Order: sequence, then C-alpha cells, then structure tokens
Amino acid sequence: MDTLRSLIIILMSSVLVNNYVLNRFLGICPFLGVSRKLSSATGMGVAVTFVMLVATLVTWPIQYFVLNTLGLGYLQTIVFILVIAALVQFIEILLKRFIPSLHAGLGVYLPLITTNCAVLGVTINNITDGYTFLESVVSSLGCGLGFLLAMVLFSGVRARIDNSDAPPAFRGMPVTLIAASIVSMAFFGFAGIVDALFA
Amino acid sequence: MKKDGNLAILLRGLIAENPVFVLILGTCPSLATTTTVIGALSMGLAAMAVLICSNAVISLLRRIIPDTVRIPCYIVIIAGFVTLVQMVMHAYLPALYEMLGVYLALITVNCIILGRAEMFASKNPVGKAILDGIGMGLGFTLALLSMGTVREVLGSGSFAGFAIPFLSEHTVDFFAKAPGGFMVFGIMIAVVNAVSHGKAPKKKSFSCEGCPSLGLCHGESVCAEQAEKEAK
Amino acid sequence: MKKAIHCVATLTVICLVVSVLLAFANYITAPIIRQKQDEAANAALLVVMPEGKDFVLLTEDDLASYTLPATVTKVYREAGGGYVFELTTSGYASGLVLLCGVGADGAVTGATVLSSQETLGAENSYGDRLVGRRAEDIEQVDTVTSATKTTAAYRNAVRDALLAFAVLGGADVDLRSEAEILAESLNTALPSGEGAFEKWFVIEALTGVDDVYVAENGTGYVCVIGDEYVGVKADGTVTSQTDTETAQTAAAAVATVKGAVLTELSLGSYEGLPASVQAAAVTESGSVVLTVRGAGYGILGGSSYHPASGEYIIVRVAISAEGTILDCVTLSQAESENIGDACADEAFYGQFDGKTAQNYAEVDGISGATYTTDGYKKAIGDAFAAFNVLKGGV
Repeated sequence: MDTLRSLIIILMSSVLVNNYVLNRFLGICPFLGVSRKLSSATGMGVAVTFVMLVATLVTWPIQYFVLNTLGLGYLQTIVFILVIAALVQFIEILLKRFIPSLHAGLGVYLPLITTNCAVLGVTINNITDGYTFLESVVSSLGCGLGFLLAMVLFSGVRARIDNSDAPPAFRGMPVTLIAASIVSMAFFGFAGIVDALFA
Repeated sequence: MKKDGNLAILLRGLIAENPVFVLILGTCPSLATTTTVIGALSMGLAAMAVLICSNAVISLLRRIIPDTVRIPCYIVIIAGFVTLVQMVMHAYLPALYEMLGVYLALITVNCIILGRAEMFASKNPVGKAILDGIGMGLGFTLALLSMGTVREVLGSGSFAGFAIPFLSEHTVDFFAKAPGGFMVFGIMIAVVNAVSHGKAPKKKSFSCEGCPSLGLCHGESVCAEQAEKEAK
Repeated sequence: MKKAIHCVATLTVICLVVSVLLAFANYITAPIIRQKQDEAANAALLVVMPEGKDFVLLTEDDLASYTLPATVTKVYREAGGGYVFELTTSGYASGLVLLCGVGADGAVTGATVLSSQETLGAENSYGDRLVGRRAEDIEQVDTVTSATKTTAAYRNAVRDALLAFAVLGGADVDLRSEAEILAESLNTALPSGEGAFEKWFVIEALTGVDDVYVAENGTGYVCVIGDEYVGVKADGTVTSQTDTETAQTAAAAVATVKGAVLTELSLGSYEGLPASVQAAAVTESGSVVLTVRGAGYGILGGSSYHPASGEYIIVRVAISAEGTILDCVTLSQAESENIGDACADEAFYGQFDGKTAQNYAEVDGISGATYTTDGYKKAIGDAFAAFNVLKGGV
C-alpha cells in the first residue's frame, strides 16, 4: 500500500508540481518550437512520453546491471545518449514497418527527440534520485504526461497569441516566452497540492 | 559563410548571431541555471569549453567521419567532452558541480553545440572552428551572465553572492522562480530585437538553419512548417 | 556493404577512443573526487569537534555488538578516542537531524543542526549551551522558553549521544526510559497485575512508603519503598522477596490504602468556602480531598497568537488532617500548547507533595507561563482555605 502511495505521489508531483517544462526547464526547445498547433503539440507530447518510457526501461537496467557492476559509472552520459539515439532510430524503423498509421502521426517528431534534453534528463534524474525500477518507470510516465499537458495547454495559449497585436520588438519568441511565464505561474498553484492530498 | 574573416567569425556569436538571444538555441540551461550569476557563468564557461573542444575535434575528423553516421559520432564526441568537464568540475569545483547538477550532463544535448558541429565545424578548418567555438561560447556565456545578473539582482538582492544594500531587503522572489526565468528571457530577446532592429539576421536562422535536427529531418515536416510561418 | 562496415567501424573506433580517454581521466580525477568528498564530510564533523582528526565512519558490522539509543543514526570514530554522532529526532516537527561530538573525556565538544523543519530557529545556537556537558549534568541545561519542545528534543538527543558514547566505551547503560523501567519493575513485583497499574492518589498518610500502585484488575498493589518494588496481593500477602521490616511496611501501607474510605461532603452546608471548590470529601482520619478549579491562561490570558481556551485548570488535592498536602494531580487543563500545558506534567504538580499552607507558594513556576502558574497556585491556596473552613465545620 505504501509502495502504491509513493508511486502515486511520484506520478502526481512529476506531472503537476515538478513539471519538467514549466518548472525544471527541460524540453524547452520543442515546447516553444512545436506548440503552434494542437495536433503537432499532441503528437510531440505523445512521442516524448513514449520515448521517455522506453528509454527508462532500457537505461535503468543498463546503469545498475552493466555500468555499476563494471565500475563504469562515469560513462553514464555517453551511454545514455547513445542508447536514446539508437532507440529513437529503432522505434522509427519499427513503427514504419509494422504500424504505418502511427508512424504517420508520430514519425516526424521522433528524430527531434534525440536531442530533447527532457528525455536524457529524466533518465539521469531517475538514477540520481535513487528511484527503484518501478519508481523510475512511473516517474518517466509522469514527466512525459507533464510534458504532454504543458504542450497541449500551451498550444491553446499560442493560438491566441498569434492573433494578438504585440509591440514589434515582442513579436514572435518574446511574447511567446512571456505567455510561457504566465502558464508556468499557473502551475505554481499546484505546489503543495500533492503533499496536501496524500499527507 | 566560409568567406568570413577570422575576426568576423569570432565576433559573430557575441551579438549578431548570439546563440541564445538571436538564434534561440540552448534555451533550457539559459533558463535553468540563471538564478544566480555564479551558476550562469559556470554553465556558460563549461558549455564554452565543450563547444571549443568538440568543434576542434569534429573539424579535425570532418574528412574521416562518414556522412551517414555523423550525428551519432558528433554526439559521442560531445558527450565525451561533457563527461570530461563533469569529472574535472567534480574534482576541483565540487560546489559548482552540485549546483549545476543534471544540467551539466545535459550540455550533451545543448542545441548550440550539436548545431555548431553540424553547421560550422564539419565544414571548416580547425582554426576557424575553434574561433567559432570561442565566439559562440562567449555569446552563450554573455547571454547567460546577463540573464543571471538580472535574475539574481532582482530575485535575491545580490550579485555573485554579495548582498546589495536595499535590494537584499526588497527581493522579488518571482525572478528567482521558473516564471521569472521565462519572463526575463522573453524581455531580453525583445530588447535585443529592438536594439538590433533590422540588423539581426532575418528569421531564417531562427528555425531550420540553427536546428541541430536539420540533418535528420532534412528541412521537411515540422521544421518546414515552422520556417514557413516564421518567414511571414 | 563496404561503406556500411566503414561507417560502423568509424563509429566504434570513436566510441572506443572516447571511452579510453575517459577511463584515463577517471583514473586521475576519481581519487581527487573521493578526497574532496571526504574533506567536505569532515568539515561538518570538525564543526562539532574542532580538535578531531581522521574521522572514520563506523559500519553496521562495527556497531553490531553494541545497543545504541534509537536516535543515533551514524557514528564516526576519531583518532583521539572521541566520537561524533549523527542523531535524528523530532522536536516540534519530525526530522530534526543533529551532529554531536563527544570527546575522549566524555564531554560534549560541540553540537549543531544538520537539517530541521522547526519553526522558531531557536535550535540553531542551542548546541553552544551544551558544550562541555557530561552525562551527569546535561539535564541541568535549561530549555529555551519559546521553543521548549525543540530544545528539549535537542538536549535529549545530545544526552543519547552521551549514552551512546558510554555504550561504545563498554559501559552497561540502561537505555530504557523512566516509564519503561517503572512498568517493568511493577510487572516484576506483581505479575498478576498484567502490567496495568495506576498510581494511587494518596488520601491517607502512609509511613515509610513513597508510592503505591494499584493493579487495575484488582489483584493487588505494589509499594515503592526506596528503590524497591514490593508486590502485595489483594489479600495482604507479600509476593516479592524482601526483608521482614520492608514487608511489614508494605503490608501496613496496603492495609491503609484498602481501609481508606472517602465520604463526600455537601458543599452547601458550609459557609465561606471559596467559589472555586468543586467537590470535597473526608476520610476517617480527617484528611480532606478537594477538587478545585484554577483560572489560568485559559480564562485570563489570550492573544491573537495563543487564543484562550475558555477552560479552567481542574486540580485534585489531598490534605492531611495536619494540613500537609498528601497528593496533588491535574485532572484537566487546556492551557497553551507546549508552554502552560506543562502543568499537567507530574514534574510540576508533584512539587506540591508535602507542602503546607505556609510554603506551597514557593514551588517553581512553569517558565514562560505566568498565568498558568499563578492560577494553579491560587487553586492550591483555595484548597487550603477550604480545608480550614471544612475543619472548623467538622
């Protein structure tokens, strides 16, 4: 029961309180770059969630059963990024061959994910936070869902920004960032909610 | 680009093609590590060290690395230098190492470094690649430093840890938190836009040209769609 | 095909070269990193033991043969024979983590807070007051009035560090709390009581006996005589092994306890009783047992920070025919938390035992709780006043 409770806490806090994009600043590039349309924001969000999950399923055992046993902990960064890059390629090939419909939806986003710092960030954070395998999987799921949530919400905000009349210097990226600031502030309202719910 | 003089290469990264404020690359560390001046400066210097080294090595190996596997090769080289920087900082500057945490490892996926490898180092001789690394690295550091200064002075009432009279008693917590990061970043870009009005490169480099994934998506799909919209 | 092999080979070579270079870098930096980490850990230890050197963290195996207080979470041994203890306790909130150094001579060399969730911050400098203290005199250090709970937890944790030091030095230290020792002594003296005992409220003077505990299941009594616990069954037979004199003393005390009968008095038939008297009763020998209410902070005090509860302190006092307090207990109170509520502790009300109308006011007050102390003493004074009225009437 305690395990379940701690898993729920990890999930909730990684979606709402420690949202990777809005609070920890990971995965900002796609957050700003691909959030223009709801469809692409959703596609990117789903693809990132999926890759985060698969990457954690692979990197956690590698860290504990290969790197730590061989005393090669210092190769963590290099191994993880290679694993993620390889995984992304592999997933793309698999999707293309076996589920073309899904590939049509997600395929275009996959190559962009290799250099998404949220994916590498979540795999490394799972190790530094000392999470168990199950906790790591749940935390990755939470981070991915948090990313998806932020993307979807922000695409709605951006639809309005595009129609607004910002001062010339602010057009484009600056006003987008200021909108992101306000969305991030809204997420600050979640601080403490998880503790309060499960205290 | 190849016809540029050495000085132009060096200075380009500082203002005209500032990687952070103009090309909007490396946004994650620009927001995450700029709550303090020290954090911003050390992140900037660490990334600059990685950038110079990786630029040099990639430029040296540019004729050896086969085109099809160049991105994985770049990633390995960059990750290697990042790990090296991590080790050195952990050994000699443990406090800074703790402070930067995961963001140090994430220099690996900093768009600026992979972007410069793809856009410049792989097409230019070593000397120019190093100059480009220094220029871009300085531009990145400068951008982080200015963000860090604004956020620390207003958010914590201090500069590089030294309390500023009056301000240290009237801090605006907002600037030290995540929303303040977005806000300051947005305003900074707007200021650069306003100052370099007309002189900054047209938004072409805003999306696809600076995008490290260009080699992977070949300017199709998402990037193309974005580039098209930005052009309007 | 050849091209594919070339690609894979290049990537592999680059990976290998990078890995070898990193392995080399790791070979150079790893010892430095470890040394820096040790130094950083030692820096915290040096705060609490400035003279210490070569701290070694003891492993679970090292400590397997010792029973240490539960608060001790880490133990470092120092070359000079001292120890540094990491202690985890809870004060006002949980998770108060302290570091405490104990020198080879058994005196506290320093104590500091590693992490805390406490609200007042009074704990930050409290460690300085404990420097130089030993196991014998640590209890004499006063707690900080505004942060009684935090500083008491702090002091108790440091006391635990001193106990742990004694244990590591080979001493046979009883780590049980006073309540645990009492419960076990009572159970040994009268096993048929099954561990459920209640302290007898003294309404008749007892000779030679300090306290009497009554088994809640009615099977007998335990008399505390000096440091002996003597069990006496309900029928008067002494169960504990003891000398004849002590056995007789105990048997006599039990006879008194069993023979003590209270007769309720009707308050209405006496004039001049203080209004605060709630109930009164007498025994055959003339002791008077009074229930009195006192107006403390709950009635007279109150601020926005500590609102008054609106409730009286209810005290039960037994006064012997000679005018000496036999026993005193706080029945209920709603004074301010962590301050005035100390009036419900035996450490406070036990002070009134043996006091008379002339000297009851001299007992120590509760620090920081003037309203409570004054209200309580007023209630005791009312009890003496009532005693005189009732004596005149009887």
